[in-house]
Amino acid sequence: MTLLEITDLRGGYGPSMVLHGISLRVDEGEIVVVLGANGAGKTTTMRAIAGLISSKGAITLDGHSIIGMRPDKVVAAGIALVPQGRGTFAKLSVDDNLLIGAAKRRDRAGVKDDLERWYEVFPRLAERKKQPAGTLSGGEQQMLAIARALMNRPRLLLCDEPSLGLAPLVVREVFSLLTRINSEQQTAMLIVEQNAELALEIASRAYLLEAGTVVSEGTAASLRDSDAVRRAYLGY
Amino acid sequence: MQLFLEYLFAGISNGAIYAALALALVMVFRGTGTINFAQGEMALFTTYIAWGLTTKNVPVVLCLLIATAAGFVLGAVTERVLIRPIERKSLLATLIVLLGLFLALNSLDGILWGNQNYTMPSLFPNAVSSFITVGGARLYWANLGLWIVVAVLVGAMFQLFNHTRLGLHMRATASNRESASLSGIPVGRILMLGWGFSAAIGAIAGVLLTPLSPDSLGVGEMFPILIQASAAALFGGLDSPGGAVIAGLLMGVVEALLSGYVPAIGGQLQEAIAFVAIVLVLLVRPQGLFGSKEVERV
Ligand SMILES: Nc1ncnc2c1ncn2[C@@H]1O[C@H](COP(=O)(O)OP(=O)(O)OP(=O)(O)O)[C@@H](O)[C@H]1O
Ligand SMILES: [Mg+2]
Repeated sequence: MTLLEITDLRGGYGPSMVLHGISLRVDEGEIVVVLGANGAGKTTTMRAIAGLISSKGAITLDGHSIIGMRPDKVVAAGIALVPQGRGTFAKLSVDDNLLIGAAKRRDRAGVKDDLERWYEVFPRLAERKKQPAGTLSGGEQQMLAIARALMNRPRLLLCDEPSLGLAPLVVREVFSLLTRINSEQQTAMLIVEQNAELALEIASRAYLLEAGTVVSEGTAASLRDSDAVRRAYLGY
Repeated sequence: MQLFLEYLFAGISNGAIYAALALALVMVFRGTGTINFAQGEMALFTTYIAWGLTTKNVPVVLCLLIATAAGFVLGAVTERVLIRPIERKSLLATLIVLLGLFLALNSLDGILWGNQNYTMPSLFPNAVSSFITVGGARLYWANLGLWIVVAVLVGAMFQLFNHTRLGLHMRATASNRESASLSGIPVGRILMLGWGFSAAIGAIAGVLLTPLSPDSLGVGEMFPILIQASAAALFGGLDSPGGAVIAGLLMGVVEALLSGYVPAIGGQLQEAIAFVAIVLVLLVRPQGLFGSKEVERV
């Protein structure tokens, strides 16, 4: 079943167009990765889906159009974005950051359970509950950003470069947590990533973006074997 | 001792008003990133409304409540209609719009209520004999009442900020607006509420302050008070509600003691001295006494 469907998405910042007709889809429970060089328009695509910038074309979730919606409405529809740079509420405690993530929830008890659950999954956050989030390490902040996005129980998690600035071991940890969450919660994921090898390992399908258009798409395995991806990202 | 206490009492009353208005300024600053120049005029406008109602024999308590509600609406509408469309463009444009609102409200006051001054009836017993004696000094009910109301108000605001879901969403919006909206917070509504609360606090401050001296309700009443409150907010740290309250109280007390004991300083110079002290503090701590330095690791 198709969860997210993007057709001919165009958009950018003011007069400068960045996306020139992107089409992609994410099925329920699926992990899809978007690859592309710096400036290809990956973040712009994510921001358009999340409602942070206005765009043209079609974006549907479960067949319902979400294009032009305010970011908080997109969240309510079931999509959460972990932004590039993580968007930590630096002065607020780890606890508060996670509770902010539950802004759309009304079930207090459920929120409490989820808090416990994510502290179990991310024990390093649990040890730092009362600490200002800005004092966490980069890896911890990335985990906090993911946990925060999950607090709203999204059906689709958008992750913009979760590996940015993290040590290789921490990157592995983040990715294995993402796979675990995907298989335990059936949360579908659209992940933008520079670390192509690792991303293709956990994804079922992939898209390659260049200058605001999709130049290649297919199963993760087929993209791993494609020359374009190899030359640009895998280095062999 | 008696003289000291009388100066102190007067200082605490002024300080409570500075504190309330400084808190209102901080609330807007945290959300919108600007000093609301029109804060004082909004407070004055709603105080006029309360006064107008008292002349129609409406009980003062009811006048206070109506003025507070009017302030809330005035603040919320200002955010929605004037600030929201402009602030995306630039900070400077926002400041200019607020200066415009300042002037517009001030002239509107003049048009509606004329240029003469009025005496505002007090919420509390306000006769010459309505005082209790503390250490030989007179403490008027109007002052004591003002302290209590401001204390309750400040306490309620802190409760709201720190222990409610709405307060958490306000803090999130102040800290990182984009992240807040990505978390599902309707930031527009949160900012609007912040402006509403802020102007409501201003209204309460105006209605409590004005009866303390006769003939004080006039078009020029609030401007000097806003200047002092802005200085207090800056002094305490523009993003720190606690800092604003402490700095406001401190300023009121220091000001009253200075002008009481050093007559040469008088009315005008005393403000200047407060400013010199503030400039000195800001040279050492640019973020103000309690303002926070950004603690963010990337
Ligand atoms: N706020 C902005 N205003 C104007 N142009 C922007 C803005 N953000 C990005 N751009 C431009 O849009 C283009 C695509 O940027 P985008 O951030 O989507 O790239 P990206 O694929 O995410 O790159 P990276 O891998 O470096 O994160 C770039 O040319 C960039 O200069
Ligand atoms: Mg990017």
